[in-house]
Amino acid sequence: MDFGLSPEQELLRDSLRGWLADELSIERVRETLDNGDAGAASRTAGDASAMQGLAGQGVLGVMLPEEHGGAGLGLLDAVVVATEMGRALTTVSYHSACVSAPLLLAGAGSAEQKSSWLPGVSSGKLLLSFAVGELEERDGALTGELRFVPDTATADAFVVVSGNGSEARAWLVERNAAGLQARDYHNIDITRQLGELQLSDTPAEALAESDELAGLVARVSDAARVVLAADSFGACERALEEAIEYAGVREQFGRVVASFQAVKHMCAETFAELEPLRSLGWYAAFAWDEQRDDAARTVALLKAHSAEVSTRSVMTTTQVYGGMGFTWECNQQLWFKRVGYNRQALGGPVAERARALSL
Amino acid sequence: MDLSYGPRYEDFRAEVKSFLADNADRAPRMTMRVVEHSQEVVDWQKTLIEAGYAARTIPREYGGYGAEPDLLETMIIAEEFSAARVSQGAAGQGISMLVPTLLEYGSEEQKRRYVPPTVNAELLWCQGYSEPGSGSDLASLSTRAELDGDQWVINGHKIWTSTAVEAGMMFILVRTEPEASKHRGISYLLVDMDTPGIEIRPLRMMTGSSDFNEVFLEDVRVPRENLVGERGQGWQIGKTTLVHERNFLGSSALTEGMLAACRKTLAAATDEQGGGNLVHGDRLMQLEGRALAMKYHGLRMLTDRLKGRNPGAAGLITKLNGCQLNNDICSLAIDGLADYGILYRGSPHAVDDGAWQKQYMFQLGMIIGGGTAQIQKNIISERGLGMPREPRATAGS
Ligand SMILES: Cc1cc2nc3c(=O)[nH]c(=O)nc-3n(C[C@H](O)[C@H](O)[C@H](O)COP(=O)(O)OP(=O)(O)OC[C@H]3O[C@@H](n4cnc5c(N)ncnc54)[C@H](O)[C@@H]3O)c2cc1C
Repeated sequence: MDFGLSPEQELLRDSLRGWLADELSIERVRETLDNGDAGAASRTAGDASAMQGLAGQGVLGVMLPEEHGGAGLGLLDAVVVATEMGRALTTVSYHSACVSAPLLLAGAGSAEQKSSWLPGVSSGKLLLSFAVGELEERDGALTGELRFVPDTATADAFVVVSGNGSEARAWLVERNAAGLQARDYHNIDITRQLGELQLSDTPAEALAESDELAGLVARVSDAARVVLAADSFGACERALEEAIEYAGVREQFGRVVASFQAVKHMCAETFAELEPLRSLGWYAAFAWDEQRDDAARTVALLKAHSAEVSTRSVMTTTQVYGGMGFTWECNQQLWFKRVGYNRQALGGPVAERARALSL
Repeated sequence: MDLSYGPRYEDFRAEVKSFLADNADRAPRMTMRVVEHSQEVVDWQKTLIEAGYAARTIPREYGGYGAEPDLLETMIIAEEFSAARVSQGAAGQGISMLVPTLLEYGSEEQKRRYVPPTVNAELLWCQGYSEPGSGSDLASLSTRAELDGDQWVINGHKIWTSTAVEAGMMFILVRTEPEASKHRGISYLLVDMDTPGIEIRPLRMMTGSSDFNEVFLEDVRVPRENLVGERGQGWQIGKTTLVHERNFLGSSALTEGMLAACRKTLAAATDEQGGGNLVHGDRLMQLEGRALAMKYHGLRMLTDRLKGRNPGAAGLITKLNGCQLNNDICSLAIDGLADYGILYRGSPHAVDDGAWQKQYMFQLGMIIGGGTAQIQKNIISERGLGMPREPRATAGS
């Protein structure tokens, strides 16, 4: 029995944490955010040097096949990366750009599609995004609307899915395709951009038609859910660390507020909820990697549990700051909103529990 | 216990209903914002006071309607306005916190001068209590005021001052007796925000707006008669204001409005948003149960107050429970909108322009402001339940 990260995974975590602190610090992320209102943020995803830096860390293509420039690793490795990105507030929609979109392409794309897109994902030169909705196809062109699509402002191409079960179909739609229009949302999490796509007779390249497509879509969506849960975990873990640090220097009543039992208990309770969430996240990734029977159900329970725990966690750590926690300047608000996005995306807690019940 | 209203009160209810039927269309739209000061609000406030539905028990000479306190009338007004979803008038820090404080401690001159424009919603106030070094430990505040002839000269720095930009006046706690003990050295002053030496720097909140501020005071000269109560009595007076603030922030009128809005949001949610979801229905009912308990708790507290009884520890829980409840209501509304719940103001498809996300954050702010939840629990256990204070801190044990 050996439940935990491998030495390689720990190395990946430590080196990425160090690199993010040096090259993509929260201060740097903030420079790109501070001037925008919520949702109108500029994105590191559009920042070529940052993406190439991340690529240099080998983290964009973690799960992609080695033959296409990826690292050929598993979801547990992606969880390690996503946790760090949540901690550092990295402005990348990792769950979509590096997980669901390229994995679906890797699983169902033609040899040519794979070789023309996947290496670019790993090297940070091409940005993919994943979208699901109801589309009509006519003569290889698509019409319809896709909502809640990550990176609509910057993605080079969208892997889009329509239909369920044996009716499921998937295509690749390039950003400059005729009749494709993107519209930006203002979502509360200003570190990741979200929007919608309008397609009208937009040329699209179909991915392979197969009976397995729906199963594959479900699988890559599950991987994205695990990544979102890891992102929330990372956000909460760092938010707790910073709160503990702040409480250790902020003085009221002639003592540091960390010395009040109320504050200690807030932190201890948060910690006691977060640590099992970390473990559950690791197991869900492992189960997914090994295609265990309980994988899908575990993912649904993880996504729901992560939503509840992380919402409480950021709510509590923000309170540790008193009035300071309510300011824009305090980093807590950024984690608070990141967790808020992760909570609703790809299934809120109620929907995920309902799904788990049926699995 | 007697919950029947009797014929006299049913007549009164009919009057309120008919007032609402005739006038509701003039009421400003109900928003979830705490402070509003448009002409529309001022006009509506005037209409309400004339009819006796706002400032009801405030004496006429101070701009109120001058009715005798009557619990059932108050209840009936609240019930009917809430059922009709019509605003019960302005409710800024002046009306909710300063006015009751002035009525209790103010001089005759102060009451005549400040209460009428405040209840009319023409004069807005801000609360200058917190300082960078003094939040939970408010009594340690260091902004000081010294008497120089007929004027107080104030120097210091206030922070988290809500609506300082919009306010015409500030009620402020300052240290006037540096030799006295921490709690005895504080006085309560009224400051015109246009006085030279006041600099306001807006602070951006997590919501993205800048509704609270830093206020710097440098040699700010205030007439001597702007002292409320006695020198050194400021802590006692300031605490009275805080009690009003806490009852206001946790008031069930606020909760009921939010609950009604949440019910509406859930009912309007489409299938795609998880509309008609039984679990959301269950959560809504849980919240309604909590809200109902707080509503009748409020009725009980009001009865105690009107009969001059001390409600004891049970009177200290309103803010702790009410603000958490309000935050939980927002959280449910967001969940009820599924993906759409994360859209914020200005976004396509945002339900109510993202008001639920904003309120969700704002209600977190209310859990912190006016004395944090942790401080409320200290007050309940120490002052209410008679438990000893925490011992002084020792390094690691
Ligand atoms: C939205 C908003 C609006 C506000 N508006 C105003 C306003 O208009 N005017 C005004 O004067 N102030 C205002 N405030 C300030 C508010 O009153 C203070 O933020 C609050 O009292 C906490 O003080 P602090 O921020 O200094 O936090 P701190 O006192 O530094 O608290 C930090 C943490 O330590 C905890 N803590 C501190 N002491 C203890 C203790 N003894 N036991 C256990 N835990 C403890 C707190 O609960 C908190 O978690 C506002 C605040 C907010 C968030």
